[in-house]
Amino acid sequence: MVVLAASIISKSGKALVSRQFVDMSRIRIEGLLAAFPKLVGTGKQHTYVKTENVRYVYQPIEGLYLLLITNKQSNILEDLDTLRLLSKLVPEYSPSLDEEGVCKTAFKLIFAFDEAISLGNKENVTVQQVKQYCEMESHEEKAHKLMMQSKINETKDVMKKKASELDKMRMERGKLDKGGYSSISGPRVIEKAFNDMSITGTGFGSGSGLGGLSTDMDSFSSKPKGASNFSEGRPSAPATAPGKGLGMKLGKTQKTNQFLESLKAEGEVILEDVQPSSVQSRVSPLPPSDPITVTIEEKLNVLVKRDGGVNNFDVQGTLALQILNDADGFIQLQIEDQDVPGLSFKTHPNINKDLFNSQQVVGAKDPNRPFPSGQNETPLVKWRIQGMDESSLPLSVNCWPSVSGSETYVNIEYEAAEMFDLHNVVISIPLPALRDAPSVRQIDGEWKYDSRNSVLEWSIILIDQSNRSGSMEFVVPPADPSTFFPISIGFSASSTFSDLKVTGIRPLKDGNPPKYSQRARLVTANYQVV
Amino acid sequence: MEKPSTLLVHFDKGSAAMASEIKADLEGSDVAAKVDAMKRAVMLLLNGETLPQLFITVVRYVLPSEDHTVQKLLLLYLEIIDKRDAAGRVLPEMILICQNLRNNLQHPNEYIRGVTLRFLCRLSEPEVLEPLVPSILENLEHRHHFIRRHALSAISAIYRLPHGDQLIPDAPELVERALASEQDASARRNAFAMLCACAQERAVAYLLSNADRVAEWPDLLQMAAVDLIRKVCRSTNRADKGRYIKIIISLLSSTSTAVVYECAGALVSLSSAPTAVRAAANTYCELLSSQSDNNVKLIVLDRLNELRTSHRDVMVDVVMDVLRSLTSPNLDVKKKVLDLVLDLLTPRNVEEVVLYLKKEVVKTQAGELEKGGEYRQMLVQAIHACAVEYPEVAGSVVHLLMDFLGDTNVASAVDVVLFVREIIETNPKLRVSMIQRLIDTFYQIRASRVCSCALWILGEYSLSLSEVESAISTIKQCLGDLPFYTVSEEGEATDSAKPTQQVVNSVTMSSRRPVVLADGTYATQSAATEAISTPSVALGSSLSTLNLRSLILSGDFFLAAVIACTLTKLVSRLDEVQPSKVEANKACTGALLIMTSMLQLGQSSYLPHPIDNDSYDRIVLCVRLLCNTGDDVRKIWLQSCRQSFAKMLAEKQFWETEEMKAKAQVSHAQPDDLIDFYHLKSRRGMSQLELEDEVQDDLKAATGGFTKDADDANRLNRILQLTGFSDPVYAEAYVTVHHYDIVLDVTVINRTKETLQNLCLELATMGDLKLVDRPQNYTLAPESSKQMHANIKVSSTETGVIFGNIVYETSNVMERSVIVLNDIHIDIMDYISPATCADVAFRNMWAEFEWENKVAVNTVIQNEKEFLDHIIKSTNMKCLTPPSALDGECGFLAANLYAKSVFGEDALVNISIEKQFDGKLSGYIRIRSKTQGIALSLGDKITLKQKGGS
Repeated sequence: MVVLAASIISKSGKALVSRQFVDMSRIRIEGLLAAFPKLVGTGKQHTYVKTENVRYVYQPIEGLYLLLITNKQSNILEDLDTLRLLSKLVPEYSPSLDEEGVCKTAFKLIFAFDEAISLGNKENVTVQQVKQYCEMESHEEKAHKLMMQSKINETKDVMKKKASELDKMRMERGKLDKGGYSSISGPRVIEKAFNDMSITGTGFGSGSGLGGLSTDMDSFSSKPKGASNFSEGRPSAPATAPGKGLGMKLGKTQKTNQFLESLKAEGEVILEDVQPSSVQSRVSPLPPSDPITVTIEEKLNVLVKRDGGVNNFDVQGTLALQILNDADGFIQLQIEDQDVPGLSFKTHPNINKDLFNSQQVVGAKDPNRPFPSGQNETPLVKWRIQGMDESSLPLSVNCWPSVSGSETYVNIEYEAAEMFDLHNVVISIPLPALRDAPSVRQIDGEWKYDSRNSVLEWSIILIDQSNRSGSMEFVVPPADPSTFFPISIGFSASSTFSDLKVTGIRPLKDGNPPKYSQRARLVTANYQVV
Repeated sequence: MEKPSTLLVHFDKGSAAMASEIKADLEGSDVAAKVDAMKRAVMLLLNGETLPQLFITVVRYVLPSEDHTVQKLLLLYLEIIDKRDAAGRVLPEMILICQNLRNNLQHPNEYIRGVTLRFLCRLSEPEVLEPLVPSILENLEHRHHFIRRHALSAISAIYRLPHGDQLIPDAPELVERALASEQDASARRNAFAMLCACAQERAVAYLLSNADRVAEWPDLLQMAAVDLIRKVCRSTNRADKGRYIKIIISLLSSTSTAVVYECAGALVSLSSAPTAVRAAANTYCELLSSQSDNNVKLIVLDRLNELRTSHRDVMVDVVMDVLRSLTSPNLDVKKKVLDLVLDLLTPRNVEEVVLYLKKEVVKTQAGELEKGGEYRQMLVQAIHACAVEYPEVAGSVVHLLMDFLGDTNVASAVDVVLFVREIIETNPKLRVSMIQRLIDTFYQIRASRVCSCALWILGEYSLSLSEVESAISTIKQCLGDLPFYTVSEEGEATDSAKPTQQVVNSVTMSSRRPVVLADGTYATQSAATEAISTPSVALGSSLSTLNLRSLILSGDFFLAAVIACTLTKLVSRLDEVQPSKVEANKACTGALLIMTSMLQLGQSSYLPHPIDNDSYDRIVLCVRLLCNTGDDVRKIWLQSCRQSFAKMLAEKQFWETEEMKAKAQVSHAQPDDLIDFYHLKSRRGMSQLELEDEVQDDLKAATGGFTKDADDANRLNRILQLTGFSDPVYAEAYVTVHHYDIVLDVTVINRTKETLQNLCLELATMGDLKLVDRPQNYTLAPESSKQMHANIKVSSTETGVIFGNIVYETSNVMERSVIVLNDIHIDIMDYISPATCADVAFRNMWAEFEWENKVAVNTVIQNEKEFLDHIIKSTNMKCLTPPSALDGECGFLAANLYAKSVFGEDALVNISIEKQFDGKLSGYIRIRSKTQGIALSLGDKITLKQKGGS
């Protein structure tokens, strides 16, 4: 079932466009295409030609042939489908269906062919989809570009400010030193460095910009004698920074390490790998000591609008079983759950559905087949709760940014529902790129500023009856209120929405009910205020 | 192996762009110009230029471009440039593109990522791929399915490279994990296909663990599953074949017909158990009836035909289902169905089949059907075949068919009459009723050929008194009142003015082209036979009962002679069966009167052509016979004819059985075949390895991966010396002719003591040949040699000439030196191969083709037969004229030869030679073909070779 090539040729056998999907030599494909018009009979009511080695499936389009070359074992039904799709695509991309028109749009046609046939295999796509794929309109790219633009703008602002500060300082110093040399080129160099960085430094953002700035400053500030006072306020800046080279080069040189070292020294969080991806390292559960462990976990996917209202509120739960010894595999679980509206269960295909639906007992379909054992957890039942409203949200967060003068005051408060006690609550608020940490005026709990990602993390170890609501206030330089969103929230809780529990385990074979432990928890997969 | 080509774009030489222009455009900042320049660059590359200087420009100015079209074109560019040097090492500068590719793989635009991943599938340089692997793997988890799809195929492609498992050692695990969580159908297919190819056991595990749900899978995935099952079952573990068959059976009810079709194929390859084969056959039959597309029908019929060869017993059961698809309006489909069904006849089902065919025949009578005539002819032939094989069914159909003797479609009427002739001889029980029927329907017959055959039947098989009498009266009735022509009668003259005109027309029409007769005789027809049937019908209903008369009046004297013979036979028989002498003599005189009237008509000036000598002689002979009968003459007339007909039928039968035997012999086991033990596993349907190879071979053959190693001796025979031994450069070539291309392997030796620079082999072609590559320049050290390749594309069968020269520079001579090469002639014989075609097809083509080349025979060979053999041998054609027709010494010979070229062109040759008194052969060889090329080249070839003697 392989399409060797999709081609458009003229009636005289001139190959106008051809895209090959498997390796074949040029002479071969040209030969096949040239032979085709001679093989096509007239007056036939079928549109394929078989030769010794290949099969052509074709369709005449005005003065041209659109044809697929396939091997002889190929599935004709699929090939015809593909051909039909291509025949719809060709007029889309080539408005005039003659030799000239097709030649003109040859590359567009090749791109379209590529979308319709992936490496010789048929793709289930429609003309619309192919068009969409070829247009390459990407929402994400636009967003990315906007973000880049705003970052550049911010960086430029900071740079200007910095430059004026520098000017001021230099003037002061010039007064002291009576200005023995000209350093007018200084700021310009910095600006250039900034420009380079904001274009190339995708992974670094403004933080590295700052770092670069300081290095450069050092490098030229080491020229004048006795300028050590310049590095005041940066006590850890390396005094031994190399003095040559004004631009910053990212290479695998000694300098990079020093550069990183210096950044570290300045309080940057430098991860050894350059990717700033926030991979959530999942806390692996303690190795179970009981022979049977039941894990009940619900994951929250919540998207709350900042003005109230829920975009998406979705709970996904799993009941997973871990059995250490083979011998304990022959069991059934009796479960019990709260009747929550919108709750729907799905069981593993090997689970006896009738038993589950009628008695809420989880047992294997084939009683002679044990549950798998070992270190892995086997998910047995999955469920989903949908359509819950705002009132069931375990935690709601309100954020009130307000601009006053040259500062923005941000008030944030949280309110937790009575249902759950929440552990390890972390509320991360994105901030505009800042040089310094924001000043926090008031807080219930603790805060941390991650300057690399410019995120303010507000963490509360435990929310229980004592602190169902809390607030925080901080001040940053003026910024657009929308920069503080999306706020993402993470927490865990030990009870679940469905309140599903295993009430007992029955052995299928004789013997005492085995010991088991069960863990239930509610965690956030994606909980955001946008 | 040659470099694979991935795309072709037609390139117009007129608009050739210079590399420098492209460079300038690429360096500019105008996106549209850049796009255009990239396109031109790609086209130039495709056209054989290498443009090495452009690469750095591309790296500097095109890589950073943000425009999507530019990026995509860039990928095409990267796809087709040479990434390796002559020694096969990756060019160092290729590393420059890695960074760009990596950026693309992390691009926020999902489509850029996707197309880049797709490009990686076509990349085979591990050095370039290695740094990209982490980025590729990251894309596996992207939320957009477009990216995941291509990421999976990229991983698959990379893993399959030589040493690919070192690039991504954990690829199977990764893919397996991805497969488990994937939702997108296409991505799942890609993942599954990757596992199938690289980690079969994992794929099997996944399939088996999901066996219950396979039926719900998307069709793409189902296809991949069927593929896997085929593969697995062919290779090793057969113990659990049942599980796979279960899956296949569940897939047979899939909604996608493509999957169903694939399943049926898989089922047959999995098992040869009758149940499985029957299920497959039924599936095919369902597809046959449910799919309206002719292509599908035809290919499914091919499949059924394959099944028939291997599992005839099972197929016999579905024969009625197959027959049902005769409802398709397409004649090709109908023909295939009939062929298939005819091969599946058994005594048990023949009745049913014939009944169905009969119904179909009746349907064609109703008219509506397009091409009803042709279809009816096919049906008649099919019924004929049934009746020959199973004579007992003939009785039920023959009467129905006889209604069609008067069919306006001459071919089908001829078929019917031949059928009747055969049945009446082989089935004596039916004779009486058939003769009666024939006499009743005789007046409806319109065509001359049918008439003469029917007359012959009447003459031979009317035995009883009443039959003979009614036959004579029918003939008389059809001839109408005598005489045919009188000068005085005014009315008749006007009445026959019309036929005269038409005769003139039809005669000119038919005599315009000479025809080749069945025995290969090359003749100009004096009187048209078929063409006349039309005017005779047009004569109107007033003459409808006088069919013989109108035919004779239109100048068909051959028919007149047949009538005379028939009457002679009937009258002689009447002599035997008629007790009353008076009656017999009356009939005799009546017959004599008719014959003389016909002679009179033939000699009058009423018709534009007088009677031809043959017919005249025959009629006169008949007249003489009737006047002067004798026992031995009577014996010849009444018995020998029939005997020789019976002998002909017997011989035909004999040849058919011989053929069957020959066919049957082929399928017998070879002496060194493995032996099947009934109690052990059967090999049939499970010869997995062979089947596996077959599929692989199929693909290989399709991509041209097969290079048959011709034996070296043969190869050396074809060495051509291109330059002289004393030339500064010696060159020789051997020419390998593949299907559509010619490969020249040229060895060039520098015979001087100087270094030759910029040595270039320039070739030019004449005829339908085209050079594929542009020549490269080489530098040749003193007394060293070099191998060069040149590929030449051939697009039609024609003698072509390749000529060229070698151009080089030496350090001390400023000018370029040129050595002209010997011409290389490409022989047409490499392209044509003997083939067979039916007589009718040959004649149709002969009439149709426009190019004729007539070569006068000029040879030293004295024997006609020997000359024919010589021509056959030297032209590589097949003689269509059966050997029996060439037997005997009569001083002349006529034969038809036929061959087909690899491009599907037909070459027809007719040889007509006569031995002169002085022992020399004279005559003509005529070549006809659709295109000029073949006719000319073949003519040249024959002229060259016919001399013979050696």
